[in-house]
Amino acid sequence: MYLLALLVIVSLGVFFLEYLKTLGADFNGIDPTILPIYDFPDIWQNTTYLGSFLKLFLAFIVIISVNNDVTYNTMRQNIIDGISKWEFLLSKMLLILFLALLSTLFLFLGGLVNGSIYSHVMGIGYIFDELEFLAAYFFDIVVYCSLAFLLVLIVRKSGFVIIALALYTLMFEPIATTILTYSDWTRDTVWPEIVKYFPIKSLNDMIPVPFPKYIFREIDDNVPVQAVLVSVGWFALYLSAIFFILKRRDLR
Amino acid sequence: MTHTLQINQLTKHFGRIKAVQNLDLTISAGQVFGLLGPNGSGKTTTLGMILDVVAPTSGSYAWFEGMPAVDARKRVGSILETPCFYPYLTAVQNLRVAAHIKQCPVHRIEEVLKQVNLYERRNDKFKTYSLGMKQRLSIAAALLSDPPVLILDEPTNGLDPEGIAEVRELIKHISSSGKTIILASHLLDEVQKVCTDFCVLKGGKKLYEGPVQAILGETNVVEVAAPDMETLEANLKALPWVTHVVRENGAMHVDITDGKSAADINRLCFDKGIVLHRLLTRTNSLEQEFLKILKEND
Repeated sequence: MYLLALLVIVSLGVFFLEYLKTLGADFNGIDPTILPIYDFPDIWQNTTYLGSFLKLFLAFIVIISVNNDVTYNTMRQNIIDGISKWEFLLSKMLLILFLALLSTLFLFLGGLVNGSIYSHVMGIGYIFDELEFLAAYFFDIVVYCSLAFLLVLIVRKSGFVIIALALYTLMFEPIATTILTYSDWTRDTVWPEIVKYFPIKSLNDMIPVPFPKYIFREIDDNVPVQAVLVSVGWFALYLSAIFFILKRRDLR
Repeated sequence: MTHTLQINQLTKHFGRIKAVQNLDLTISAGQVFGLLGPNGSGKTTTLGMILDVVAPTSGSYAWFEGMPAVDARKRVGSILETPCFYPYLTAVQNLRVAAHIKQCPVHRIEEVLKQVNLYERRNDKFKTYSLGMKQRLSIAAALLSDPPVLILDEPTNGLDPEGIAEVRELIKHISSSGKTIILASHLLDEVQKVCTDFCVLKGGKKLYEGPVQAILGETNVVEVAAPDMETLEANLKALPWVTHVVRENGAMHVDITDGKSAADINRLCFDKGIVLHRLLTRTNSLEQEFLKILKEND
């Protein structure tokens, strides 16, 4: 299902542009279908940006997997049987890494196929340029799933965590960051700087929104270092919090 | 003799509740150790701490004279309260997970499933099992790696009388092969039958520790009954070495002084022409001793 959704995102851009055309939309007299969204190397930024919205579904898998082990007490049983808490953490991180790797590979292959069909430019140099967005995408998923892991360890109700995480990721934080960045009261204060350190915002910032480039031509098409550093910080925080909880909590 | 487990000043507080207080315990290889105590006395908490699922407030423990705890747990088969398995997996699949963790060969899965009479249901999902069958599966999981040490917390919980008898036989069989068993149970009769040593916990404190044999044995109370109870009572009360006579449930409980025995009573009655239809020297049971220990420490 998840891979299907990724496939849809990678491949449907061309149909979306056709749709815009039939609606009669035009950008200053330019036919939307000629927009080079599948051109190498821009395709990497475009697909990873859209694909990163689907990380929520991967987080659900992680939440359900961890929650199963907690509610069925099998985590406790397995520890009694002889795995260490570190190994438990490691096994769940392996699951996360596997999911992230699978998604990244899939997106890479999808990008290659679509790019080779629709791209106006070709050549090894173009194809493998800006592949850092795939790395950012991979890291984005890993950190996000670690957050989900931590939350479900703390709250222990998978349904609640799934809804709360979805609402926070898709609504609360984007709304809050937008208000804090653009509202008249906070625009000139320190707040626009602070929101860059928010857990979801910093992840999303790793892959800047690519589409304004087709209108303004002037956008950031590199992975911003600051966002990566902040995300690394959050990742370290999540991991140590998870390990601390596993270490200290009594499993009864 | 090597120490299988050494517990040193182990303490656990749950908020205000002191579940275990400064517990010292040494269990040697080959012992069948009974852990006794009323509900909430800290038995399961203690077992949880030595298995690393409950974090101790203070104190320490050492398995196999200092083996790393993770390796030690692989050599310990445990049942801790309720059976915990993946409900959507079958018995065989669940045991395969356990075998993988214990790093033991999977060919023993069939063997242990037969041992606990679950072989016919081995391919059914865990969630379809009754409580007794779940308990049997956790016994199977504990036996899976053929471990030198078994921890059994209420192993007969939820089993039918037949199952209880089977578990008792199993414990006897395992202990006869020289393995160490730590058994926590309310069924004192069970403990008396299979354990070599025991300790009594209450309110997280150790009240008593010692071999089972030391507290069993004959007492100075003899139970007698005859068709003519009045004559018997009068005759017994006249004896200088009878200190106390009390009637209970159609029999008489006679306290005698040290050095005298049921044989002396029998001889007396024989001489007086009284026919006894019951003559029995009371022996101590673990249950009496257990209740006595608890009472003394109230």
